[in-house]
Amino acid sequence: MSAPAAFFERVRFAYPRQPEAALDGVDWDLKTGTLTLLAGPSGSGKSTLLRCLNGLVPHFTGGRFGGRVLVAGRDTRETPPRELAAQVGFVFQDPEAQFVTTRVDDEIAFGMEQLGVAPATMRRRVDETLALVGIGTLRSRDVSTLSGGERQKVAIAAALAPRPHILALDEPTSQLDPWSAEEVLAAVARLHQDLGLTVVLAEHRLSRVIALADRMRLLGNRGLAVADGHPASVLPQMDRDAVPALAALGLARGWEPLPLSVDEAREWVAAERRTGRLPAEPPLDPPVPAGPPAIEASGLAVGYGGVPVLRGVEFAARPGELVALMGRNGSGKTTLLRALLGFQVPERGRVVVGGREVTRSRPADRAETIGYVPQNPSSILFAEKLRDELAFTLRFHPNGHRPEETLSEVGLTWAADRHPRDLSGGERERAALAAILVGNPSVLLLDEPTRGMDAASKLAMVEALRRRCRLGGTVVLATHDVELAAAATRVVMLDEGRVVADGDPRTVLPAVPAYATPISALYGGRFLTTEDVLAGYGERSLGAGLLTVSGGVS
Amino acid sequence: MIARPIDPRAWLLWAAAATVPPLVGRNPFVLLATTLAVLGVWAAWRDAATDGWGRLLRLGALFALVGVLFNTLTAHVGDRPFARLPDAWPLVGGPLTVNALVYGLLSGLAVFGLLLVGTTLGATLDWATLLRLLPDRLHAVAVTGAVAWALVPQTLRAFGEIREAQEARGHRLRSPADAGPLLVPLLAGSLERSQTLAEALEARGFGAALAPQAALGRWRGAATAAGLTLATVGAYGLAMGSPAFAFGGLGFGVGALWAAGRERGGGPRRTCYREPAWDRRAWLVAGSAGVVLGVEVAILAVQPAAFAYDPYPSMLPPAVSLPLLAALGLLLVPAAIR
Repeated sequence: MSAPAAFFERVRFAYPRQPEAALDGVDWDLKTGTLTLLAGPSGSGKSTLLRCLNGLVPHFTGGRFGGRVLVAGRDTRETPPRELAAQVGFVFQDPEAQFVTTRVDDEIAFGMEQLGVAPATMRRRVDETLALVGIGTLRSRDVSTLSGGERQKVAIAAALAPRPHILALDEPTSQLDPWSAEEVLAAVARLHQDLGLTVVLAEHRLSRVIALADRMRLLGNRGLAVADGHPASVLPQMDRDAVPALAALGLARGWEPLPLSVDEAREWVAAERRTGRLPAEPPLDPPVPAGPPAIEASGLAVGYGGVPVLRGVEFAARPGELVALMGRNGSGKTTLLRALLGFQVPERGRVVVGGREVTRSRPADRAETIGYVPQNPSSILFAEKLRDELAFTLRFHPNGHRPEETLSEVGLTWAADRHPRDLSGGERERAALAAILVGNPSVLLLDEPTRGMDAASKLAMVEALRRRCRLGGTVVLATHDVELAAAATRVVMLDEGRVVADGDPRTVLPAVPAYATPISALYGGRFLTTEDVLAGYGERSLGAGLLTVSGGVS
Repeated sequence: MIARPIDPRAWLLWAAAATVPPLVGRNPFVLLATTLAVLGVWAAWRDAATDGWGRLLRLGALFALVGVLFNTLTAHVGDRPFARLPDAWPLVGGPLTVNALVYGLLSGLAVFGLLLVGTTLGATLDWATLLRLLPDRLHAVAVTGAVAWALVPQTLRAFGEIREAQEARGHRLRSPADAGPLLVPLLAGSLERSQTLAEALEARGFGAALAPQAALGRWRGAATAAGLTLATVGAYGLAMGSPAFAFGGLGFGVGALWAAGRERGGGPRRTCYREPAWDRRAWLVAGSAGVVLGVEVAILAVQPAAFAYDPYPSMLPPAVSLPLLAALGLLLVPAAIR
């Protein structure tokens, strides 16, 4: 039996000025040559565990550290991260945040230059790494011109070039569209299989990665494992709302072994088909009552520096609708949101809200009608307490809601006196939503609201948005998240600045393979979610429902 | 494919030549010639810049305009009054003069010119090559500088996003007290970005080859301190139009820093992936900038008034130095070879 790639012994750690431990007595043998998936809710210690592997915890973070971590036989307490860089390659969530140079091959060579690798060796390794990750054609490109997926692959190549034994990835696909996420994960799987590299991957969206992993470590609180083993044996022990769609279906139908990919699940469906037991297809969702649109764009054309971004977009959303804008990075989603907000003056066309052209009023006046939650919730959070954040909005919206009601609506009553920046990513996103919802805008625009969110936070957010729609509000959100889009009443698909599809999620999502849910790929037709299948069998879902949709076909 | 960059040393020489006129005087012809030349280079290379640098330029133009307004309203000196505000008004009360307006315009032009040089460097400078050219001792400082430089456009972009998000919430900036909702997220976000980048640098082995030389020799420390002091004195001399101080201070300062940087201890050396290539374009940019610098130094030594202009107390015609204006035209060379 080979030595573990990393060995944790009674590891305890608390961040500076934090009374509670982030890790509390963690023991872990990270097996050499495995692809291990770290799963668990926000704040369970996934990122902290990853940072223990290369010594960022405690050397960079500070804080109180106890126990020991051995990586390739070296004690991380005595070895700083810069020396462990040759042993552990690390890839962060946002590739842009870790780039130092402007050219792809310079970026890949940067780490080796720091480690003093000989120039001839370095040039050979740059060539090899480019080929391994499959980005040879990007070699001389400026990193700022790359797509999100290409950037993340460059970040992986940069981490791999010094030939580490372990590759640690912290939610590497959370900011990518489904196409890019597939590319990145395929590259990681290839590296694991071809090189026998030990890979540790922390992720919230499990459906894409679960079939790639040969081990899964499910974390509960403070980094402690609730379960550790093959994914099929760990998934049944997860919170039902967080289980990926296929596994959730398998658990409900008693399929064993649990299918982790569409291919594995097809055998079960084929068996059920042979016995004549197939679920009844779900009906189309009832249409939203017709009426004048709450927000309408007609013939909208927008360009940056002569490059067209929106080309004659026609768009309208009515009261009670929850509309998901989808499309690849750069398809024009954020620009359309900015135009709807009135911050992007169109070259042609116009946006009308409540019968009035949006660019003819001042932003602060528009705020009474349109609320906006930006991609980065920290852009609007500035107060010492969440309660004060809501009070600040109410200064401009005297007819707003009571803060207590709004906090309850998004499930953050307990956080009223907390500093917004002390909240987790998902909680912070809901705090920003509360700060806008309290003003009671009739139209709500959100840009990627579930990025990096765990299942519980996502469920709470979607419930709040649905409630808003039931009360007659209009919600328009830009997203890559298929789970979220499936919960919408309508999906509008953009491609190169044009609307290419507009309709019920059950008809629009399955038409684009990257956005087809695993359930849709498995059953076809109007099936989108685990609940659809179970309802078709006349059974009930195991979880709360919404989040067993899961995104992207693995 | 990325366009092959010009060697950063050539760009730095060009920037040095372009910053001398706005630093040493307010001669309108000299400032205008310099600014137009730099604008030409910026226009030729601006497609290499990220969006944030364009924002910085617009912000610079706004600051320059505010400067013009401030000088016109507060400097009540000069022989050409054109209006008068009530004397009882604090600070702005009194005669408004064309002299103050002209000086404000020239100062604004100088500030804008300096900013334009900075944004052009931001668009064109190949930091990776520049870092490789520096001695190990200066590497850590230089990477920190490069990172800080890269954060400028990101921070400006973030400011734009925050301003829009808060406006959409109903916030209006009507007094300094309203700045909190803009500045707090900006500051916190900048710190978070810096923290992430620092973490990434550490994880990628930054400083690994430098660690064994951590013990700084006493004389090396003294040389670094002396170098920084002399360079500061030189920059001050340049700003005050004193060539002896300027070039003496800068020359000795840079020399001392270079000497301190060359000395190193044992241990592994940082290695270099790609040797910088000094090509024909680098010769052209550096050569033309060298000529401009040479002419500037010579004119500063023999005819410093060619750079100067003072509209107080009377507005007289500014001096015209044709050799200087002709030399400043050479600052356009990088635009011609784009």
